[in-house]
Amino acid sequence: MGRLLNAATLARALGLALLLAVPAIACSGELDVSLDLRAVSSDATDTRLGGALGKLRYDANHEGLRLGYLRLGYRGDLSSTLHVTVETVSYGDHDVNPLDFTEMYLDWRPLPASAWRSRLKVGAFYPEISLENRMRGWRSPYTLSYSAINTWVGEELRTIGAEYSLDWLGLAHGHGFEFSTSAAAFGWNDTAGTVLASRGWGLHDRQSTLFGRFANPGGPLGSRTVFYDDLDKRAGYYVSASLRYRGLLELRGLHYDNRANLAAGSDTIQDYAWDTYFDSLGARWTPNDQLTVIGQWLHGRTYVDVTAPSNAWSYQSRFLLASWQQQRWRYSARVDQFDMQQTSCDFCSGPYGTGFVFGDDGHAWTLAAQRSFGAHWNLTLEGLDVTSTVPMRNFLGIATAQRERQLQLALRYDR
Amino acid sequence: MACVTVCTVLAGLRVATAGGGLSVTINGATGAAIEGAVVIAEPLQGAAHPRPGQKLAIMDQHNLRFVPEVLIVQTGTAVDFPNSDQVRHQVYSFSAAKKFELALYAGRAHAPVVFDTAGLVTLGCNIHDNMLGYIWVTDSPWYGRSDAGGHLQLRDLTPGEYTVRIWHALLNESGPELVQRVAVSDNQISAANFRLQRALRAPTHNHGTDKQWADY
Repeated sequence: MGRLLNAATLARALGLALLLAVPAIACSGELDVSLDLRAVSSDATDTRLGGALGKLRYDANHEGLRLGYLRLGYRGDLSSTLHVTVETVSYGDHDVNPLDFTEMYLDWRPLPASAWRSRLKVGAFYPEISLENRMRGWRSPYTLSYSAINTWVGEELRTIGAEYSLDWLGLAHGHGFEFSTSAAAFGWNDTAGTVLASRGWGLHDRQSTLFGRFANPGGPLGSRTVFYDDLDKRAGYYVSASLRYRGLLELRGLHYDNRANLAAGSDTIQDYAWDTYFDSLGARWTPNDQLTVIGQWLHGRTYVDVTAPSNAWSYQSRFLLASWQQQRWRYSARVDQFDMQQTSCDFCSGPYGTGFVFGDDGHAWTLAAQRSFGAHWNLTLEGLDVTSTVPMRNFLGIATAQRERQLQLALRYDR
Repeated sequence: MACVTVCTVLAGLRVATAGGGLSVTINGATGAAIEGAVVIAEPLQGAAHPRPGQKLAIMDQHNLRFVPEVLIVQTGTAVDFPNSDQVRHQVYSFSAAKKFELALYAGRAHAPVVFDTAGLVTLGCNIHDNMLGYIWVTDSPWYGRSDAGGHLQLRDLTPGEYTVRIWHALLNESGPELVQRVAVSDNQISAANFRLQRALRAPTHNHGTDKQWADY
């Protein structure tokens, strides 16, 4: 578990080898590609991608025709029970790598000889927390922009480690439900919390890549963010459980703790360890072929300090999404509520005044209509309206209360 | 109307010239007709007659479901498992009557599987846990599934004593009410009426999913 650069070099080589191995094992795997092109209109404040505090992917300076993403996914079989998944994506923005990985893992999934089945994942992948990100590449089939909760998951969380799952397959044995439990140990997630604590919540579909690097949202906490760094050589963990009832209802719960050592990181390397933990609960209800209702709640805390554990934040968000599918059309609506506040501070006197510097309080409405054309094409129109109060905006010279709106028309091709 | 009459007469002639008939009716605990129940009539004595033209059957996979959900085949029948979805499936069974596995595949990657032992084979997909399918393998050539009215007519049965069994994918009981002994005579239609004692289990749905998705 060396520094990221070593790990990055190693993983890049591994990823390249996997991609080069694709032709050799393509007969037992599948390669798929997605291209998403957008026309964007936005009055949002400057986006995080430029080091500012905007909540949306596109701000008023990034309107017009945009690359939503180009992604390449591969799933292959090393044996009948051992599978490899590699997800790569390009967002066409100024991240350090024009094409980068979002997931790369091995998945061991033996055949169930009884009602019980074990599974093991090793590599870099998403924890099973979102009930809306169901498409390959962890995309949402409902809206272009994810909920505030899962936007954050896409920005700052990735399991880089191992996850063991035990499934009870009741349906095949005459029962009405199934359940799963998972436990994971991971490294390289010590910086999780940086974006949430400094910018607050966001709503977009721009996932952070495994070797990406971005400017940190402006302020007193440093100027850059290396995602998926391991500063303290101490593993974090999460445990989760899910229950599925007759294909009608799915419930998920997860407790996460990156167990970051606050002493790791420094101004010199401009990286900080954030001790971040949270709980998440979610439900997805599918009463018929048309209607899907998803709700999720997340609440947690994060701490950072090089010298003393005196800087603490509390954050929570929840959303409710309803989606109606009618043949080739799908209509979705989502309401998000979110807040984040600093609860203790050792730098809030002096140059930053006497009050808490960081906070976020707001809500958002997202409406989307989409139509598919044949098996491969999809056209989606999405409107997003987010209202929030963020004290940090004072430091950028803009009003703390802002209403940001964004309209996107996306043409997507999947093959 | 004329056609219906002619067909009925022809069917009657067929029964009259080629053995006996068996009329099966299945009702639930509340009296409602049970559709889709498997009915198998096995002669108590003598070997069952092979049914010609049933040597290859198809169990498709479409929209993350086995189609049909329940397939009945005679012993020795080969079953093809084409995958009509865009995602890959890994079909398997651990049932005593047939243990097998078809490694992850799309399209028609595997040769048909021969089912050579009588019994119930429960099918699963290791990637999509709520995909469930069933293959009933029987030595008997006399079988079928009940219609919307809970009825099934079996024809051309060799005269003699039969064990008639019923089964349903959502059955919530396993008692003697699922088996009857019936005598079949030439030129006569015997009856077997079943009444379940407990309600069927609620079905499992496949709502809100799309065959292109890969759930996280």
